[in-house]
Amino acid sequence: MKTNKKITLEEIATELPFSVPENYFEQFALQIDRQIGYKTPQHRFIRSWMYAAAMIVAIFVVSSIFYSTNQRNLARNAENYESYVMTQVDEPAVVDYYVNNQSK
Amino acid sequence: MNLSEEELQKQLSDPRQRNSAFSLVVRMFQERLYWHIRKMVMSHEDSNDVLQNTFLKAWNGLDGFRGDSQISTWLYRIATNETLTFLSNKRMRSQNSMNEVEDGLLQNLRADTYFDGNDLQMRLQEAILTLPEKQRLVFNMRYFDDITYEQMEAILGTSAGALKASYHHAVKKIEKFFGEEE
Repeated sequence: MKTNKKITLEEIATELPFSVPENYFEQFALQIDRQIGYKTPQHRFIRSWMYAAAMIVAIFVVSSIFYSTNQRNLARNAENYESYVMTQVDEPAVVDYYVNNQSK
Repeated sequence: MNLSEEELQKQLSDPRQRNSAFSLVVRMFQERLYWHIRKMVMSHEDSNDVLQNTFLKAWNGLDGFRGDSQISTWLYRIATNETLTFLSNKRMRSQNSMNEVEDGLLQNLRADTYFDGNDLQMRLQEAILTLPEKQRLVFNMRYFDDITYEQMEAILGTSAGALKASYHHAVKKIEKFFGEEE
């Protein structure tokens, strides 16, 4: 575009007429962090929370496995005990016990 | 977090604190260095590449930084060298005239979606592109960033007197460019 008026530098703003994509500098700094292998405090905070969450899940899973195994063992033990008692009991002795008690 | 120059240099030389200190340096200087580069290479994509090279060169050369200059001066020096190398490579790749690179830069600028200046600012950029590289560098640093001749001397390794003369010549040429357009 041509004009007839002579332009001087004083008339032109000293601000740069360029722009950058949105969040460019934030992203750029994070990119350099990755390239130099630096974990920002924010990354470390997120990572420690992820570890904590993973630990809670692991504890929950291990506890439920332990609990269900324990319950099964208890039930199995109770069944075994009942069978054991039954094998130890002399049937005529039980009948005698009941008869004697009723006759008192 | 603002650290003193001395503290920052101390942390940069300590291998245990080097990463966090350098991350801080990037955040402190990235914008200034980006604009320093952008004024010379014009396009955002090229500026991004040169800025990345600048910081990676600085990171890899940390052991060579002895603290005999300020961190900002050291980084400006690397950024300037990277910019001039980028332009020189571009020039070597172009087989035709010497002005082809500048013409290419101007075309990129006209097509750049990240140029949001008015007509006058576009014409100033056109005028700046007619200057020899070193004059362009000096003009940009003085006119847009108001960097002192003493700081420029430390960055460019040229005497303040020569830089003043260079700036003066650049201004005359730009005014002549505008005069010829009348």
